[in-house]
Order: sequence, then C-alpha cells, then structure tokens
Amino acid sequence: MHPNFDLSDCYTIQGKLALPYTYFAGSVGSIFLTTLRDRRKIMGIKCHTCGKVFVPPRQTCERCLEDIRDQWVELGDTGTLENFTVVRYADRHLPRRPPFVLGLIRLDGADTPLLHLVAGVVVDRVAEGLRVRAVFAAQPENTILGIDHFQPL
Amino acid sequence: MTIYFDVAVADIFATMPRRYRPEGAQGLQTTLGYDIRGEGRWKLTLAGDRMEIESTGDLSGCAAILCADGETFAGLTLGRIDPNEAMRAGKLQLEGDGEAFAATYRIFQKYSPPIPAIQPSQELLVLKKTISVHQRFATGPVFGKFLMGLKNRKILAIKCPSCGRLQSPPREACAICRVRNSEWVEIGPKGEMRMLEYCYYASPDPLTGETRETPYGAIGILLDGCRDEEVFWHLLRPDQLDKARRGIVLGDKVIHGSRLRPVWNETRTGSIDDILFFEIDEA
Repeated sequence: MHPNFDLSDCYTIQGKLALPYTYFAGSVGSIFLTTLRDRRKIMGIKCHTCGKVFVPPRQTCERCLEDIRDQWVELGDTGTLENFTVVRYADRHLPRRPPFVLGLIRLDGADTPLLHLVAGVVVDRVAEGLRVRAVFAAQPENTILGIDHFQPL
Repeated sequence: MTIYFDVAVADIFATMPRRYRPEGAQGLQTTLGYDIRGEGRWKLTLAGDRMEIESTGDLSGCAAILCADGETFAGLTLGRIDPNEAMRAGKLQLEGDGEAFAATYRIFQKYSPPIPAIQPSQELLVLKKTISVHQRFATGPVFGKFLMGLKNRKILAIKCPSCGRLQSPPREACAICRVRNSEWVEIGPKGEMRMLEYCYYASPDPLTGETRETPYGAIGILLDGCRDEEVFWHLLRPDQLDKARRGIVLGDKVIHGSRLRPVWNETRTGSIDDILFFEIDEA
C-alpha cells in the first residue's frame, strides 16, 4: 500500500445478488430425471456408432454428431470417483454445510463423469479411485438431487 | 387383417349395428353380400326396422353382391376412392341389384375411423429458482473516501496531478497519464444531464438483490466543476424519464440539458444508494 494513502476510509459493503432463472431440462434431461425419481434408475445414452455411453445423457453424440436421443441404456448405482474438490466455504446457494465434497463420478459402464456430492466419508480420506454407490433421495425430487449423494461402497 | 387408410375392414362391418338408421331404411327388405378379397365375406340382412350383419362364407340368396379388395372397400367407405373409377379399373364388381348398395349410404351413418389412443405426452421438467448470493465489496482507501463523502452529502472527485482531469467515482490512478491521483475536490452536487439511457432490462440491484422497476433511466450528469467527459453516473427520478432533456455537444456548440439536483437518502450508510436519484432542478 502506498504510504500516502489514508486507510481510515477502508471498509466493506454487504451486497446480495439475486439471480432469478428458469432451467428447462429438455426432452432427454426430463426422461433422465423422471426415471431417477420414479424408478430410482440412472439412465445413460449410448452412441451406437462410437460406443460412448453418456451419463448424464445427451441428445447428440459429441464425436459422431449423431442424434442418439432414443438410445437409452440402464446403469447401476456404483462407480468410481475420478476427481473431486472440497468446498470449504458456506453460502446459501450451496447444497451442504462446509466442508463437503463435490466429485466427478464415472458410473460403471459409463464413459463420462457425473458431478455429484460425495458424503459418508471423512473429507480428508477422499481420494481418486474411491469406489462409490448412489444413495437415492427419500423424497421425490425433480432435479439431479433425486440422487441424494454418493457414498463409499 | 390389413389396415388401409388407418382402417380395418372388419371394423367397418363391426360398427354397422351402431351406425344403423332405421328411418333411412324405410322398411327396405333385402339381403346384400360383401365379398372382400383377403378379408372375408359378410352378409347384411335388412328387414323392416331390423338389420343384421354376419360374417359368413355363404353368400347364397343375396339380392346383390359387392366384390372388391380390402383397400378399395375401405377407400369407398371413407370416400377416398370414387366408385365409378374403381369399377372402370376393375377393382369393384357388383353382381345383381347394384343400386341396392347406393341405398346403404342412407341406411348407415358415415363410418369414421376409431380415434387412435392418445399417447401420454412426456413429462417435461422446468425448474424456476432464484439464487441468492451474498457478497462483500471492499472499498479500498480511495473509493471508501468517496462513499464516506456521499454519507456526508458531498460528491467528491479525485484530480490527476498531471492532466488535471477529475474522476468521480474516483480511481487510484489516472489511466491516461499513468500517474497516481492525489488531490480531492468537491464537485456538484447539482449538474446538467448529458446522457440518458432507457433501461428495459429488470437487472437485479447487486446491493439489495431486488429487481429494478423498468424502464429506469441511467444518466450521465456533468456536475458543476466538471468539464467535457467528466460525467457522473446515477439514476433519474423514474417519473421524470420523459421530462428531462439531454444536453448535446456538437463541436464548439453546446445545447444544454436539464439542470438536475441529487435527492439524498434519509439514512445514508456510505453507499452509492446514499443518493436515491437525480431530479430536475428547474422552476
């Protein structure tokens, strides 16, 4: 800091940003979420050309650019933690109290990772390669929180 | 059984009792045979007020017999195929009293294909939400001094020691001369409107999170003591959006805009909201 600055007027102002938004899950996303809610099944979509299995599902194969919206495959509840981060700050828009773990979980049989919460394990013990299982929400939920979290096998 | 024009031939015969109009038959007494190739044979008996349709292999004793393939018969029933053309093409043959078949158009209500079962439409999910994010803005020494000025009903500007230009809100350096600003001067609080933007987007206020009423006027005010482009940004009193005039500079010529004065917030906290808005300062 420049020595000539008068620091007596330094202070912080509290702000609050409200962001209203509408998220449309789309046709493919809606099937994914309603199946999660009604049947407690995690569905993916397989491209028959390159064989890639997308979870979460998508309408078009990113490699082959083919319409794959009807090529549903059912996956199990288990997968492997590919990567993770530990959230260590609190905010109202966050789903858990800190510290909590956000992980990229690749389900068995899938080729893409799914972002979700990893719980039921001490934060400092979380490591890549951890085998996890989906725990479904007790109440029906129209979002990805139809899976409550993943926990170690 | 084949489907022609979304219709099954058997369904045309099966719905005859339901479509029967005794008033159209007018006591007609006859027996008609239908020989639909690949579909089967049916015998229609009309006797006074009664009618009877039966699927049978034996069409003996019929006053007239209609022979056609399934597609032609379904097309005739629906009016999609013209009977004369079908006759010419050899797709429709009538044996016996052919006129009797014309009477069936009076005797039966028009056949309409069954309405296909409506597929349940897919459930589509829409999520409406408002994220609320708490924020803290650090003022730093320069912006903090400016905001403290507002709290004391003073609009402060910082002056470049090199070129002398004023900046308000202030910055620590003059970006043109690349020197550190040092001297503070009080400007305004009244001035002249030089810029006006009608804002129709209901942007959320980053301090309160509340959505602004639209349209609102974002204005540039040339406060007294400032010159050229040293305009101060704020809001115009909402009901004066169409009343305030915007000043224009054309070379050496200046068309002056409306004189404005700040309306101070009763409770001032050292924030840009310490001025509610500017309003017209004219008689």
